[in-house]
Amino acid sequence: MNLLRTHAKNGPRPDYRRALLDSLVKLNPLYLGKDSPVMLVVEAGFALVLAMGLAPGAFAGLVNQARWFYFVIAGILLLTVWFSTLSEAVSEAQGRARVDALRTLEKDVPARKIVGHSEVIVPSRHLDPGDVVRVNAGEFIPRDGVIKEGKAYIDESMMTGESIPSYKESGGHVIGGTKVATDSILVTIVAEAGKSYLDQMISLVENAKRPKSASEVSLTILLVGLTAIFLVVCSAFLFLADHLGLLIDLAILISLLVALMPTTIGGLLPAIGVAGIARVGEANVVAKSGKAVEAAGDVDILILDKTGTITEGQRTVKEFVPLKGYTKEEVGQAAYLASIYDQTPEGRSIIEVSKENGWVLPLTPRLLAGKSIDFSAENRVSGVELFVPRPGTLGIQELPTAPPEAAESRIWRLLLDLEVSARPAKVLKGAVDAILDLSPEVNEAELLWQAQEISKTGGTPIAVAVDRLVVGLINLRDNLKPHIREKLDAVRATGIKTVMVTGDAELTARVIAQEAGIDEVMAGAKPADKLVRVELEQKRGHVVGVEGDGTNDAPALAKADVGIAMNSGTSAAREAANMVDLDSDPAKILKVVEVGKQLLMTRGAITTFSVTNDIAKYFTLFPAVIPGNPAARLLDVMQLHSPVTAVLATMIFNAAIIPALIPLSLKGVKFRAEPMERTFVRNMAIYGLGGAVLPFLAIKAIDLLLALVIG
Amino acid sequence: MIEEASQFVLVIVWALILAYFLGGYLTRLITGRPRMFETFLSRIERPVFRIMGIDPTRSMTWKEYLFALLSMNALVGVFSFVVLLAQGVLPLNPTGVPGTSPDLAFHTATSFATNTDLQHYAGEASLSLFSQLSLMVPMFIAPGTAIAAGIAFIRALPTSTGKIGNFYADLTRVVLTILLPVSIVVAILLNSQGVPQTLNGLLTTGSFEGASQTIPIGPVASWESIKMFGQNGGGFFGANSAHPFENPNGFTNLLEVIFLLAVPLAFPIAYGKVLGRGRGLAFLAVILVSFFLLFGFALLGGGAPIGQETRFQGFGSLLFQQSSIGANTGATNALLESLSHRATTSLFVLMFIQAVPGGAGAGFMTLVIYAILTLFLVGLIVGKTPEFIGIKISPRQVRLAVITFLVHPVLILIPTAIAFVYGHVQGILGTPTTPFGYTQALYEFTSAAANNGSDFLGTLANTPFWNIATGLVMVLGRYVPIGLMLAIAGEFSTQGARGTPEPIRTDGLPFTVTLFGLTFLLSALAFLPFLVIGPFVR
Repeated sequence: MNLLRTHAKNGPRPDYRRALLDSLVKLNPLYLGKDSPVMLVVEAGFALVLAMGLAPGAFAGLVNQARWFYFVIAGILLLTVWFSTLSEAVSEAQGRARVDALRTLEKDVPARKIVGHSEVIVPSRHLDPGDVVRVNAGEFIPRDGVIKEGKAYIDESMMTGESIPSYKESGGHVIGGTKVATDSILVTIVAEAGKSYLDQMISLVENAKRPKSASEVSLTILLVGLTAIFLVVCSAFLFLADHLGLLIDLAILISLLVALMPTTIGGLLPAIGVAGIARVGEANVVAKSGKAVEAAGDVDILILDKTGTITEGQRTVKEFVPLKGYTKEEVGQAAYLASIYDQTPEGRSIIEVSKENGWVLPLTPRLLAGKSIDFSAENRVSGVELFVPRPGTLGIQELPTAPPEAAESRIWRLLLDLEVSARPAKVLKGAVDAILDLSPEVNEAELLWQAQEISKTGGTPIAVAVDRLVVGLINLRDNLKPHIREKLDAVRATGIKTVMVTGDAELTARVIAQEAGIDEVMAGAKPADKLVRVELEQKRGHVVGVEGDGTNDAPALAKADVGIAMNSGTSAAREAANMVDLDSDPAKILKVVEVGKQLLMTRGAITTFSVTNDIAKYFTLFPAVIPGNPAARLLDVMQLHSPVTAVLATMIFNAAIIPALIPLSLKGVKFRAEPMERTFVRNMAIYGLGGAVLPFLAIKAIDLLLALVIG
Repeated sequence: MIEEASQFVLVIVWALILAYFLGGYLTRLITGRPRMFETFLSRIERPVFRIMGIDPTRSMTWKEYLFALLSMNALVGVFSFVVLLAQGVLPLNPTGVPGTSPDLAFHTATSFATNTDLQHYAGEASLSLFSQLSLMVPMFIAPGTAIAAGIAFIRALPTSTGKIGNFYADLTRVVLTILLPVSIVVAILLNSQGVPQTLNGLLTTGSFEGASQTIPIGPVASWESIKMFGQNGGGFFGANSAHPFENPNGFTNLLEVIFLLAVPLAFPIAYGKVLGRGRGLAFLAVILVSFFLLFGFALLGGGAPIGQETRFQGFGSLLFQQSSIGANTGATNALLESLSHRATTSLFVLMFIQAVPGGAGAGFMTLVIYAILTLFLVGLIVGKTPEFIGIKISPRQVRLAVITFLVHPVLILIPTAIAFVYGHVQGILGTPTTPFGYTQALYEFTSAAANNGSDFLGTLANTPFWNIATGLVMVLGRYVPIGLMLAIAGEFSTQGARGTPEPIRTDGLPFTVTLFGLTFLLSALAFLPFLVIGPFVR
């Protein structure tokens, strides 16, 4: 079950009854005036036409039809407004459903607080940051915290929708409301009451009240402008026609006004915006504002991390490369020894490959008693520091015997020598230059050349050294994520430039970039370089998208127009970003860009549709405005049954098109990976030309039906 | 048919050739790069700058530019107003005409200052030679103003400094190095064809019947040249270009058409040279195609107007009217009443759109407004916020563009309605109002709002209401859009164009077709009902 997927089968059902109620409340003209000026004018038209039906006498000279006609027109006008408020209320109900779903998680649970040496049961709301609690299998984690002790599988499906529990051990972040699936852990609470991640998410979704984005503001201005023009046109026409002795029916003129006004887009505009946030929600991304979703559509530069986004982030051994005088087998053996304490995926991959090939040496006592050297940013090597016995305490003891095929190995002999000499020594693997510094007695030119050869294939060269002798290199290869090439090709087709950030050397990075279809590489980059790049591109006028998970990504995430933080990332990153990806899938940014584009496309498509609709409406309505006028016959290409049916048919079409397009507004116009020029031509053909043609057909059809009914 | 087609092609090709060279020169003025004969030209300009106390290198913000533009125009307007009021006591008054009424003086002064040249008088009867000569000042300043604004507008697009140039320097350069020299050449050409150029106000000659007659003449050739080249359009004589002294033969007819189209067509070319040839071509294509189509539509109504001038034939008359009104010059070489209803409709549409090609500078800026509206109406359809020349269109720019677009129908429709409601149409055209009477009233305000100047009413409208109402419409129709467009330019001038292609490239066929379609659609949506009950009915 995924709580953010509102359409999921078991997901929360939006409260449609409340939506219905809301839609009626929103008919209040004060509310419309603030939110939807186009609809306010329609409502004013409704009031006027209704008044004409109630008191025709007050509109002498402007009322020429039977009374029922005015009531019907008034009804259709009110329906038009209601359809628009309904579409907004429904999309809001869907948003609320997600908040409610999150709320259910935020319950008060009993927590086992550790006081001294005993556990005290307290309600979770009484916990403070710094408190330590025990959580056993099957219990809920009371609030956000860090694992102090123990390891466990945590079921986070209620947050992420990921059904497989994730493994966490000490130091790992756990989220309040998730459940410990196995084992028992001690958790140090880090969040204050009411400020947990869940609380933040709820307030995010709730407050996604959408400050209007620039493009929505612009569009609203345009719609109000068009409405103003048609108001001027229709009122000027009323005065002029009067002086020309034309018999004008005010209700029909109001119908013309409403038909010409961009009611379709005006009515659906709020719904489209809300739907955008809902759709990134479906992709399991929490958007802090609708603005960010729209900005995603405008992104023209994506700055992506290599590891985790483009590649799997798990480097595996591709091959062992011996230096002159050594064999592959010996490099494998040395690499195996250097990795015996290595718990990283890379280390495990080395062990695995060495074992597969049978390139495994028995461990000598000094190795067994040795100390693990962990990789750090400073030393950039890892391996084993051989145990140094105090003089005299450790003579040559029983040495393990090497398997016959390894007996000839130089590495084995070296180990034996070391065992005898008892001098300090290390078995290391690491960055080529770091190893070079530690082992000066190597043929530097050869090592660098081999390293470069590895880089050229897109691999990362790792040098292996046993006691200052460099034996050879490991070609570690990070695999591309499945389908990343297709995804990036799709992104590029729409004109977005991609930049890959990596700490790797230039050569390696370039090969990967080329394979993945990345446009530009920032190799050898430090985390701070990301921010510099974001600022630079923004200064050039680009809209920049960034994803990240580390605290040092936070400034870039905050600065970027679209910053997506991984849920697995640090809280600093999550706070700085304007979206959080619950699946922690860095490639998700591509999906978000797609949703942003869809949102803008939907707005554009319905606006275009709305405007081109007007052509047909002039032809169907205007002859009815000036019936009998010789010029009207010129425009009357539609040959509608009568002025009355023409007006009714047009107004019915005008109202019905709003609910008819609600599904499109909620789902969005289909996104295709292609140059924008092609999108433009195709969408103009569908929504522009389609918008010009459809009302002719639809209104004619409705008119034929009405002719049957009215006779 | 062949002769007519070749006439048309000849005019367009020559206008484009002239526009090409003028466009190149405008580019130099826009970018400030050295012009041909730069040392010579700056030697001429320098004393003028010194006398006027201008530092031509001091670039202005859009507000300063607009303020300078308005003050200069106000000065010129007041000057014309005073001269017209006082012409009775001023020299060069051979026919001894008295000063005009204040409302006519207001109307005429604003009319010439705004490059409209709507005339509620007949020049030969109501104006002294001194007044006619004085009106040639606004006839240079008014087009110079619009050309300068257009130059500043294009200049603002690629910069990011917030400065759009020096108005006084632009105006001086435009007047001294474009309008004056070309007008002199055209005046000489016209003079060679029999257009009079003299300071003697009257010509006494024998009539066919043997008696003697007095014909008013004057510096007609110089008037005529700047009237056409500067899109002024106001006639020296009441009959405008139908008068044989203004437009004696078929050659002068075509010559005048070519010169009145030259500067308006030069603007998209200059824009193309500054911001990319394709972008300029797209605008030029929209202008030319719209122009051809509207001309074709007018011809369908029967090319030959009734009561045509035999000097030009029906085709020549129509070509002249169409070009003159399309370029918002407003000169006419035949009575508007004689046109078919299709031709009248076509003229209305040209004035509603105001941008195919529209007046020099102003027409081009209007086309950019249509482009911005088009980009925002349909541009989101590609999934990106619309950009113009690589700059995101801001909500403020959209607001300014929408208001600019709104000004035109408001200035036409509301005054027309008022004129009817308060009986001013009926007052001069009688009751009951016929569709034709309505058409004339609508045309008057359309022409005023578009700063066009052609009209049906002429001296009939010399009443306080019509003089003041159309005067105000001309002022608002001129300076409100220019102010708004400079504000848009100001916004662009702080950002600087990016080299990257826009989400919807403004240089391709798809955009060109869309801009063309929406320009017509938007104008049709706003004005169609008013055409249907008027010009259509005849």
